[in-house]
Amino acid sequence: MSRKRKEVVTSIEEAASKIKDGMTVAIGGFGADNHPMTLIREIIRDGRKNLTVIASATAGLEIDLLIGAGCVKKLVAPYVGQEMYCPIGHNYRKYAESGQIEIWECSEYILYAGLFAAASGQEFFAWRGGVGTSIPQLNADLVEFTDPIGKTKKIIAVPPLRADWAIIHVGWSDAYGNGQHLGARFGDRWLARAADRIMLQTERIVPNSIIRKNPFMTTIAYADCVAEAPYGGHPYAAHGFYKEDAEFIQDYVRSSEANRKGDEKTWNAYLERHVYGPKDHYAYLETVGIRKLLGLYTHPIVSW
Amino acid sequence: MSDYSWKEMMAVLFSREIKDTDKVTSGAHTEIFFAATMLAQKTHAPNMKLQLGGSVTLCNVTDVEVTELPKTSTGYELLRYAESVHDHPDTYLFYGAPGGKRYYKEGSDFRDVNHFWFADKFFVGGIQADKWGNANMIGLGKPGQMTFRGPGTIGINDIAIGVRDTYVFLTAHDKRRLVEQVDFISHPGKKVCRENEYYGDGPKWIVTPKCIFDFDPETLEARLAMLFPGVSVDDIRANTGFAVKTAKKVETIEPPTQAELQVLRNEVDRTGLLRH
Repeated sequence: MSRKRKEVVTSIEEAASKIKDGMTVAIGGFGADNHPMTLIREIIRDGRKNLTVIASATAGLEIDLLIGAGCVKKLVAPYVGQEMYCPIGHNYRKYAESGQIEIWECSEYILYAGLFAAASGQEFFAWRGGVGTSIPQLNADLVEFTDPIGKTKKIIAVPPLRADWAIIHVGWSDAYGNGQHLGARFGDRWLARAADRIMLQTERIVPNSIIRKNPFMTTIAYADCVAEAPYGGHPYAAHGFYKEDAEFIQDYVRSSEANRKGDEKTWNAYLERHVYGPKDHYAYLETVGIRKLLGLYTHPIVSW
Repeated sequence: MSDYSWKEMMAVLFSREIKDTDKVTSGAHTEIFFAATMLAQKTHAPNMKLQLGGSVTLCNVTDVEVTELPKTSTGYELLRYAESVHDHPDTYLFYGAPGGKRYYKEGSDFRDVNHFWFADKFFVGGIQADKWGNANMIGLGKPGQMTFRGPGTIGINDIAIGVRDTYVFLTAHDKRRLVEQVDFISHPGKKVCRENEYYGDGPKWIVTPKCIFDFDPETLEARLAMLFPGVSVDDIRANTGFAVKTAKKVETIEPPTQAELQVLRNEVDRTGLLRH
């Protein structure tokens, strides 16, 4: 037996190829921040179909992109949009209204309850929020029951939400898959815990000694693979590195709105320009341009 | 022509509503309320406990320069105003007294804040609201046949169960939005909250760019309580999709004072996000 530790570093292409048609994938980040965009674009380039996607509690347009590229069959998400940029994702609307995707109706905590149930190996997690709303009526997997202790209140049993893979963007990770967020973590740790395997996309791969300097900061330990992608969250922000690219997001919103209104040409041109066209992640960054990328730089949030 | 926008009016209105002892929470796409809460901290509520956005970002901007009103509830700007940031699921471990409503009503000598389970005030959006104060973010149409897919409930229903007063707000006032019965419920009105023994009292108001509805304490139905400056009761009746009942006295909201507008525009919303 070798005494050398096994490194789990892979290329973006190799990491994305682990995602197969029909799998359930949990995708991290939140709102306009910390989404594993390079891996998402690669999954689209690979032509994946029929994915069940468990999104973050406030999913942004990263999910809308996957939907618009035809990769998604079923979506677990309490929201898809980008707040002031785009209150409701256009592809999400288009595909939901036409019945091309199935929505697992939930709310933020119903999502977390499902992740907790999966992560802790329980049959369900109980939650009251949602009783009296239309959510249980729209989601047959949610079962209302009467509180067995107090005997009066209604409670919702939320079954486990398990994923084959969680795909999470971190600030940095070592070669053994120990990742650290350098800003807000949102629900990433829960998405990861509910998955059989964890794939990290990282801004930087750093020496193990950096991780050991502050192991309290390690949010995802022992991921199954880690792929480096500097500026890999673009056009969204990556906490500790850069803010979101407003212009680029606005272009996305216009293109996806065109698609919702039946103008597939504009949408396909968008995909060609930013997803299918560039031959790899660095070619994508070249299309964005060095001035733009460096202009998005923000000061580190976490001080060491 | 007034020299302020309805968004600024709304921000000032909610700022006035906030007390120094309040805990307030505000979620995604609620920039008006980000402004209202920051304005309150900078004018009369420096101790107000404020949770903004998706990473349980506990902010206090009383003595902090706000360079720009955040466009998203997750961005690095918010982190600059934060004193504490948590994993998002911590939202639902709340941060008030587990005693909830009971604790709040009985009061306490040793803690005059943190009485409520989740927060004292929470702002809730809707694509529709009805006369019971039910709000809908889910969509229009029927189950399985939505003609309009809404953004989703986000965490509104999860938070609402533990908040003393929620405020439902609509960004336009018309018959499509103010209806007899919402197509789907994302935020339950007062009646549903009571029937389900929620800790939270449900909506205190429905606020539109034209008026405020409060709720009849007996019937729990919405009633017109206050008008925005320049709006008439007839205007409300003509543009509301349910029969408008009125409170005994319908008052007109006092327009923003110069002092309020000055702090709002120079210390909170410097880029003028709310001016149009």
